[in-house]
Amino acid sequence: MSILTRFHAGYFRISLSLGLQALLWKVLLQLHSKDAAFQGSGTKPKALYATIVAVLWWFSVVVQVVLSLLYALKCFLCFNTIKAEFMHHVGVNYLFAPWISWLFILESAPFVTPNHICFVVFWWVFAVPVVVLDVKIYGQWFTKGKRFLTAVANPTSQLSVVGNLVGARAAAKMRWQEVALFLFSLGMVHYLVLFVTLYQRVAGGHVLPAMLRPVFFLFFAAPGVASLAWFSISGSFDTASKMLFFLSLFMFASLICRPFMFKKAMERYNVAWWAYSYPITMLALASTRYEEQVKGGVPRAIRLALSILSVLVLITLLIFTAANPKLLLPDHHHDHDNLRRLPITHCPKPTPTPTPTATATALQKDTNVEGT
Amino acid sequence: MQTDDKLPNESSIPPLIIAIISNEVAGFDKERDDSKSDQIKSASCIRPISISSSSETHSVSISMPSSPAEAAARSHHGNRVFFKDEDGNGRETAKPKDKRFDNFKTWSGKLERQLSNLRGKHVAEPPEEEEDRQDHQTHTPPDFDRLPADRYFAALEGPELDTLRASEEIILPKDEKWPFLLRFPISSFGICLGLSSQAIMWKSLASSDSTKFLNIGHGINLVLWFVSIALVSVVAITYTFKIIFYFEAVRREYYHPIRVNFFFAPFIALLFLALGVPPSVSPALPPPLWYVLMAPFLCLELKIYGQWMSGGQRRLSKVANPSNHLAVVGNFVGALLGASMGLKEGPIFFFAVGLAHYIVLFVTLYQRLPTNETLPRELHPVFFLFVAAPNAAALAWATIHRSFDYGSRIAFFISLFLYFSLAVRVNFFRGFKFSLAWWAYTFPMTAAAITTIRYASVAPSIVTKCLVVALSTVAILTVGALLVTTIIHAFVLKDLFPNDIAIAIRERRPKKSRKWYYRNSGSPDASILRYLKYTSSDSSDIFDDKKLPSLGDQDEPDHCAKVVEP
Repeated sequence: MSILTRFHAGYFRISLSLGLQALLWKVLLQLHSKDAAFQGSGTKPKALYATIVAVLWWFSVVVQVVLSLLYALKCFLCFNTIKAEFMHHVGVNYLFAPWISWLFILESAPFVTPNHICFVVFWWVFAVPVVVLDVKIYGQWFTKGKRFLTAVANPTSQLSVVGNLVGARAAAKMRWQEVALFLFSLGMVHYLVLFVTLYQRVAGGHVLPAMLRPVFFLFFAAPGVASLAWFSISGSFDTASKMLFFLSLFMFASLICRPFMFKKAMERYNVAWWAYSYPITMLALASTRYEEQVKGGVPRAIRLALSILSVLVLITLLIFTAANPKLLLPDHHHDHDNLRRLPITHCPKPTPTPTPTATATALQKDTNVEGT
Repeated sequence: MQTDDKLPNESSIPPLIIAIISNEVAGFDKERDDSKSDQIKSASCIRPISISSSSETHSVSISMPSSPAEAAARSHHGNRVFFKDEDGNGRETAKPKDKRFDNFKTWSGKLERQLSNLRGKHVAEPPEEEEDRQDHQTHTPPDFDRLPADRYFAALEGPELDTLRASEEIILPKDEKWPFLLRFPISSFGICLGLSSQAIMWKSLASSDSTKFLNIGHGINLVLWFVSIALVSVVAITYTFKIIFYFEAVRREYYHPIRVNFFFAPFIALLFLALGVPPSVSPALPPPLWYVLMAPFLCLELKIYGQWMSGGQRRLSKVANPSNHLAVVGNFVGALLGASMGLKEGPIFFFAVGLAHYIVLFVTLYQRLPTNETLPRELHPVFFLFVAAPNAAALAWATIHRSFDYGSRIAFFISLFLYFSLAVRVNFFRGFKFSLAWWAYTFPMTAAAITTIRYASVAPSIVTKCLVVALSTVAILTVGALLVTTIIHAFVLKDLFPNDIAIAIRERRPKKSRKWYYRNSGSPDASILRYLKYTSSDSSDIFDDKKLPSLGDQDEPDHCAKVVEP
């Protein structure tokens, strides 16, 4: 059962990327069928797009189901490790990842429209845990003694914001404006606080280990998905969405101008590399909506560049994952993903429950050791 | 403390020095080879000359490096100064060959040598010239690697981080006027900001509906605009010369936590010029001009904002200071210019980026975090920069949306509040040394006046008109007072460009043992002896008593031993 101990919520990055990629192709397909002049060619690309969407979607469903089953097994058999993940400042944010990927898979399903009853039911199933996690985690930020924001803030905290915004977007697609607005405002207000805190980088917060540098891409994922959510709520890509999209574009440019920041993380394959993929896909999706609103050469060039980049990154990651199956679930000695520095317990054997403070201090020590 | 070595007259060199030099022991004098020591021993061609006066007063002073490593390093970059007399070796010198500023020069004085060779001077160089050249080529002086931000905070103090702390030293001579280019800081672009914003204000006063009752013509705008263009050109050309000739100084300004923000000032000044173009010169500017102006600005802000987000020692919570507003306000000004030219997407882009970073900066500055070392404890004119960004944002938003709507009004009222909360505290803005950077702090007041003019045309009433007149008057008076002060400093006091101490700080703190040495100076020989004997622990063989002849007293070993560790 060592696979279960080594597995953690960060692996949902894979299904998240695949599901989002399927959504991107679905949107491109929609736009293509809506506006014949969008791509400028006939029905052949439409069939191509439809095939790609279907293939991607089924693949992501399979991956997601496998991951969810593994995680469910882990819940039942090794609940201690789940608790330890919850206590960890990075791991806790990845608890949002399964729900986000389910929501994207729901949205990108080729045969389900938002009015369908399945959509509604599944939306409730996936959105409620997000809200529950919100209440727990955001409440901790401003009330709890040890786990207040400046101590735990790190770039992965933006994943909680992304979760809210994705839920808002899906709700808006169902024409539930009030619910959508509720989740949107929840996400945005915490994004504001988080943005300021992360930019300040107050010394004394947890330092992110070098292996997790790819999560810096979340800096432009959050405004990108915010722009998409506002687009869904307001119905058109207005100034607010444009501003969020531009902010996301700027941060993307700022990060790719600093390749040396990621040098250390690129030394060895790690599941954290999947964190590169979904932010780029989100940005590509936002640029698609932008091009739809503001037609012209420059938006089209941006959209093409970002879409091609996201496809390339996804393919590269798939190749790397297929080529390094062992590194996908590395054993304790070779793994540097900080999420995995949890107290390793063997599931079937009964183990003493680690106390939260002890775990937190142990993790903190690990972080400081690995921190750059 | 003298940082340069003046070699004494041969007859008065203490025997100690001769012995040490001739021994050439590794660790203390690693790279000196025989030619150098021979040349020093036979100091026939070297006569001491005092630098500043032309009278023949000979002065002897020996300054010892703090550690053997530094001495070796010093010898690398040739910080020693050799003075040549006219009757020395036939080389006629109008001024002493001053190598002290070579390390700041881009080509380490090679250009000078080439020029002097071209001019036909005596080409037979003494050997030390060639060695210096070699040294320059092979070794980077240790003080000229990239200085960390911490070093600036440790060495400097004051609201503009330009005053040297008492415990620090600089690597250039303190009591002398440095070359003009070295004294020309990047904050001189503040004058351009102040004047060109005045041109915009007079343009608004002349052309806005709400100020028709004042009957102001376009003449003042025209005059001010041409003066601003001239000024921007002069300052830009001078600073370009500084980049060409003293690149190291420019680098150090770039790493200075406060001066780095002034690197945005040239671009903002150009944007102001484009905004203040008199209608008679050109009614409408071509849109491609906007892209040309904003492209370098975008590159610079990608670099600086990325540093805030990811740079460990230049993160925002540590370096945040009101001058950072200069880095943010350019976004809004660029958006304003683009929107006034009719562009849509580009202005929104810069507005979004500027707004996001402005929120971060605003919160950080309002927090006044304890980890923040640069916020002045007392009020300083730099605080007026707080007023700049909301005004620029209000104007930009109004121009993008073609109406002074709620968003603009909210920003405008915030800026008014900040302005008044600073204005009522004007008593606390006292007792500061004038600096050229003060010009940069006048443009927020001018911007406030411009926004008020715009607001008054949307909401005309007696109150708004009074506000327009009041704010414009304050802006004009401030600029006038500053102009008078600048002229006084330039022509009467002649210290408009004082020595720019902020760029000459050392890479390392001076060690405590050196300070002890100067405090306890008895006879120079005895002090030198004690220093040499006990200061360093690595090269112990040279401090063997037997090797050094005629040593002075060897009393108080414990007293010396105490101060070995810095």
